[in-house]
Amino acid sequence: MAIEPADIRRIIVPAAPITRERMRADIARMLHEDPEAIGGDDSLMDLGLDSMRAMNLVLAWSEGGLELEFAEFAETPTLDGWWALIHAKQAARGAPGV
Amino acid sequence: MVHPVSDPRAPAHPLTEAQAGLWYAQRLDPANPLFNTGQSIEFTGPLDRDAFAAALAQAVTEADALALRLVDDPAGPYQVVDPASRPMLEVIDLSGEVDPPAAAQAAISRDMATPVDPTRDRLAAERLFVLGPQHHIWQQRIHHLAIDGYGMILLTQRVAELYTARLRARTPGAPAPGIAAAFVEDATYRASDRRAKDGAYWRARFADRPEAASLTAGVPASAHAFHRHVVEIDAEAFARLRARAERTSIPWPDIVTALSAAYVQRHTQTPEVIVGVPFMARLGSAAARVPAMLMNVLALRVTVPSGVPLDDFLDAVAGSLVRARRHGRYRSEQLRRDLRLVGGNRRLHGPLINLLPFDETPRFEGLTSRLDVLSTGPVEDITFAFRLHGADGLRLEVDANPALYDIAAVEAHARRLAHFIAAASAAARLDDVPTATPAEAERHLVNLNATDHPVPDTTLAALIGEGLVATPDAPALRFGGTTLDYAGLEARSRALAEQLVAAGIGADERVVVALPRSFELVVALIAVLRAGAAYLPLDLAQPDARLSRILASATPRFVLARAQDAHRFTGKAEVLAPEDWRTVPVGEPLPVPRPEDAAYVIYTSGSTGEPKGVVIEHRAIVNRLLWMRAHYGFGPRDRILQKTPATFDVSVWEFFLPFLAGACLVIAPPEAHRDPQELARILREETITTAHFVPSMLAAFLAEPSAQGLVLARVFCSGEELPADLRDRFHRTLKAELHNLYGPTEAAVDVSFWPAGPEDRSTPVPIGFPVWNTRLYVLDEAGRPQPPDVPGHLFLGGVQLARGYLGRPDLTRERFRPDPFRPGERVYATGDLALWRADGAVVFLGRSDHQIKIRGLRVELGEIEAAVMASGRVRQAGIVAREDRGTKRIVAYLVPAPGLEPGMDLAALKADLASRLPDYMVPAAFVGLDALPVTANGKLDRAALPAPDFAGTGSRAPDTPTERQLAALFAAQLAIDGPIAAEDDFFALGGDSLHAVALLLQVRERWGRDPGLGALFAQSTVEGFARLIEAEGDVDAGLGPLVTLAQGDPGRPPLFVIHPAGGLSWCYGRLARALTPRRTVYGLQAPALAAGVATPESLEALARDYVARIRRLQPRGPCHLLGWSVGGILAQAMAVRLREDAAEVGVVALLDSYPCDVWRGEPDPGEDGAVKALLAIAGHDPDRLPALALNRAAVRAFLRATDSPLGRLPEAALDGVVRVVAGNNALVRGHFHRRYDGVLTHFRAALDHQGRDLSPELWAPYAAQIDVIDVPSLHAHLTGPEATARVAPVLARALAQADSREKVACATAV
Repeated sequence: MAIEPADIRRIIVPAAPITRERMRADIARMLHEDPEAIGGDDSLMDLGLDSMRAMNLVLAWSEGGLELEFAEFAETPTLDGWWALIHAKQAARGAPGV
Repeated sequence: MVHPVSDPRAPAHPLTEAQAGLWYAQRLDPANPLFNTGQSIEFTGPLDRDAFAAALAQAVTEADALALRLVDDPAGPYQVVDPASRPMLEVIDLSGEVDPPAAAQAAISRDMATPVDPTRDRLAAERLFVLGPQHHIWQQRIHHLAIDGYGMILLTQRVAELYTARLRARTPGAPAPGIAAAFVEDATYRASDRRAKDGAYWRARFADRPEAASLTAGVPASAHAFHRHVVEIDAEAFARLRARAERTSIPWPDIVTALSAAYVQRHTQTPEVIVGVPFMARLGSAAARVPAMLMNVLALRVTVPSGVPLDDFLDAVAGSLVRARRHGRYRSEQLRRDLRLVGGNRRLHGPLINLLPFDETPRFEGLTSRLDVLSTGPVEDITFAFRLHGADGLRLEVDANPALYDIAAVEAHARRLAHFIAAASAAARLDDVPTATPAEAERHLVNLNATDHPVPDTTLAALIGEGLVATPDAPALRFGGTTLDYAGLEARSRALAEQLVAAGIGADERVVVALPRSFELVVALIAVLRAGAAYLPLDLAQPDARLSRILASATPRFVLARAQDAHRFTGKAEVLAPEDWRTVPVGEPLPVPRPEDAAYVIYTSGSTGEPKGVVIEHRAIVNRLLWMRAHYGFGPRDRILQKTPATFDVSVWEFFLPFLAGACLVIAPPEAHRDPQELARILREETITTAHFVPSMLAAFLAEPSAQGLVLARVFCSGEELPADLRDRFHRTLKAELHNLYGPTEAAVDVSFWPAGPEDRSTPVPIGFPVWNTRLYVLDEAGRPQPPDVPGHLFLGGVQLARGYLGRPDLTRERFRPDPFRPGERVYATGDLALWRADGAVVFLGRSDHQIKIRGLRVELGEIEAAVMASGRVRQAGIVAREDRGTKRIVAYLVPAPGLEPGMDLAALKADLASRLPDYMVPAAFVGLDALPVTANGKLDRAALPAPDFAGTGSRAPDTPTERQLAALFAAQLAIDGPIAAEDDFFALGGDSLHAVALLLQVRERWGRDPGLGALFAQSTVEGFARLIEAEGDVDAGLGPLVTLAQGDPGRPPLFVIHPAGGLSWCYGRLARALTPRRTVYGLQAPALAAGVATPESLEALARDYVARIRRLQPRGPCHLLGWSVGGILAQAMAVRLREDAAEVGVVALLDSYPCDVWRGEPDPGEDGAVKALLAIAGHDPDRLPALALNRAAVRAFLRATDSPLGRLPEAALDGVVRVVAGNNALVRGHFHRRYDGVLTHFRAALDHQGRDLSPELWAPYAAQIDVIDVPSLHAHLTGPEATARVAPVLARALAQADSREKVACATAV
């Protein structure tokens, strides 16, 4: 079967698993905060995260080939909520869910 | 509350805040298709149509928004989810077409251009075009009320997901929540404290906002289409931006937003800009995944400081964006209401900057998809959308309102912004980023200024000398009916030159010439040049103090002046009066000046209070004169009028060009340059070919009846802006070329030219292109070349630049600077603002400093301020040129010296100034203040200065009706609020010749008489001029049976307009003046307005009377008729009557009139109705004045109190109006129409008659044809400004067509 254009990126980019700690560090950098300052169920909007930064994070995390939908992240803007989404996607792809 | 809908159980939802704004906008503009958003996706590959149809059906079923139906209810609009409104997939097979893709594009364009009525039509459409077995296009069109851009992506991705799941036989993900989530979110937010806090944030943030500016000056009005141009952002530049984002932790989309705002600022050149930033409003919302309309537009204030690192600027903007998004749920429509920015041209923000930092291309299993976003909603102004595509491509999509931008401008902005962002990506400071693209800069600085032209390196003296001997017998000068030939001029000027040389005059020395217009004046000027010296013209009308300052600075060797004026120069320079001049040359050789020697010195107003002497060298003026001779083809047959005072440098070409062309110079008598009638006489009698006018004088001249139809070869304008309407009036009045020239004294008269011919439609009229060997630069504050259409500072370069200011190297350095683009050369900073158009023509936009022009003469406000301070009566002074309601005047704001009262003796101060300044520089008003208002940075706060009270000084209130009306006209014309007394003088109140012309036009409209400009100059008080008007005939206060509403081309048949119910036809004044080309418009008014005139027996009798009246004025026809309401009924009856008389009928136009049959059945409204009609005529809605008793006395008192023009009518006349209204009601009911065998042109008030069965077709039995034009107006507003703007062009066209039919008919008859 021919390779479909939509599949190319998935094939050539190795999937580096995303961890909860990496997510926490990425969010903290966006907010100019220490990672420890971000609690699992803190509202990221209350911590100062805006939609453009959130979108940037989602884009960064999808660079490994995960198909992430910003709208899902927008529904639950907390570290725990986001980790649950990423974890489920990675599990569906068979990546190790650390 | 449950409303009756197709599914009675469907719950009704109020509109969300996000929907409400769109709803009202669409209702205001129901025909606008841009409220539909849309996209198309082109599929290449094997599309499984059944799977696609199934996937789409499921996605549509999940997306309640697509099933919304809107209901307009008196209690407010609401919406229901109506399954019957869900879109069904329409499959359209175009594979059999010759060009299937083109057929699909056409079908899509048609669909996107079709407006949707959200109360009747489905909000969404889903269409699949089959172009071939492997080729499909899926078009979605969804009304903005139902969805926003991100919602469209969600919906599309859901279809892709369902399709792919089907093909792979997998279970798709869970659907998004229903639309109820969005309704709940909206209701919750509306009631929340957060909304209150958000609102407070925005109101505080915008309390001191600047005015929102954009890339053009136009006023945004919703258009029904938009221009689009798409460019790719350079990939390396985008990579650099993302690297910067990485380094600064600012998301790259915010960097692009900030740079785009900076780009906007380069065009507005305001310290701060306000841009609109679309905001998806989904983060943290339960409705985040719902396809629905949620997005908002955030107004972002962006300050662009100079000299700071780019990263600091980006950081500041990113911070503002974070704060704005934190409060981003608060609707911008609500903020506009909070800030009272609703309606008209009041805007909250300029351009929209929309960042879409995600790849929107959907992934359909086995297919290649290409997305094309067709529309994202109405484009008010201009939108810059940046869309990510693929992994790292960034595309800039510029959408713009075609009413404000042409497609070339849109393309230019796309290219320029892309270049700006690319340049900024590598810059350390914004200051280093050019606004213009390299191609634009090259065209501007080099191509448009490629004016090199060989000119002999000689002197004006040499050229004149050669000219004088070439044709000795030809006439050189004409003055007062006598002629001096070239030989005579040669001899006299040589004799005087010899005398000056013998007296020891030499190169670069100044000789004052202060003579009135005469042969001697020209002889003197030429003689000074031939003697190798520079002439210095002086006006003896200026005060001694100023004259002395000039003489002290210029140190002239001699003065050529009349003996009776010699005392003005006593002790300053030796005076040679004409009686003492030699007239016969002795034949001594004259000196030969060099091209770099001074030819003349002209003094202009100086900002420091000292007049400045501009030194022009021979080489400069030779270039100017030889260019003009060649460019316009001057030759021996030309007769050039000399009417410009020698102190104004325009006179330089008038004086000398004739002798370089073998032409004749005709000298106007002294003072004739102010007298239009005298000028018209000279132009005609002396068969002048060439004349110059300052535009304000040209306006006065064109109003002179004897100027009509004059024929010249060419007329030149300069000295002031040439208004476009003046150009057009010129071509309607005279037969001549019209040329607009521009230049400061500092660059040898003129440096640019523009042919303002009859075909020129430019608004404003450009100053045009550079003359030979001349460069025009338009630069921004930082000296960067501006792109086309962007205002900047005008700099001049080339051979015509002056040497500098006499004896003022400091001022010379300030204004004459090194040319930044041509090392070793100079440029002159004009202080003028300008732009260059896309075609390369330069447009003058005004001054950047405090210099103004009064009657074409340059005035530095600083010079006036210095004179005020020198009076010793004032501690502080601010002199400004104010424009109050279109009238420009010099106003002095003064803080009196200690010990003097604020109401100090202004008369004494004025007298003092008159002794120091020329009359045109003396302020028109003086305002005493306790302190001058200053801005935060200590500058004079011009905005805080009170408007001057221009009320006059007289004490007697206007008494007679004529005086009262005339005083009102003075006030309106001069924009004066205070009372005007009978003794007040029009010119002392601030009027100038332009005002005078406009006043006379109104006098003519009001009284049908034109006493003329001269009469107004002679009798300029209210009482004096009123006496003149009255002397010309009986005063009818505009109530006579025939009034002239507009005066136009006598060659065009007039238009007769017939009064509506009230019997007055003043209401047509606006329409009459709006007709182009101008045509005479007569208003017919009810004779029964006059006391003692009985109501006519029938409408037919009245029509007969009117026909008789108009045939006395227009015996042959054609007669054009127009009437509003009852007037239309009369017009139809008159047309029938005219046909019976075998008279030619032209246009018969009805402004929302309906046949009498409609009214017959309705009860006569009686006197109450008549009084109500009177209120309606005055512009009041009688039903909204419930407290007002409906009787004549109460209504009369009300009209007087509300300052209605009707209230100024004498009592008898008001009674007449009431009587006529009542009479007309009865006449209409008793009238039976006859058939008019011609065309009725019906202007229908399309917004009116809700629930009434009034249609223009009711006229069908009474006319051969009815042309209907819908005007979006209420019946009562049909003669208002908006409706007139629609009616006038259509009417003018119909009239022109009827006129040409008439001409053809005549020609055939002959």
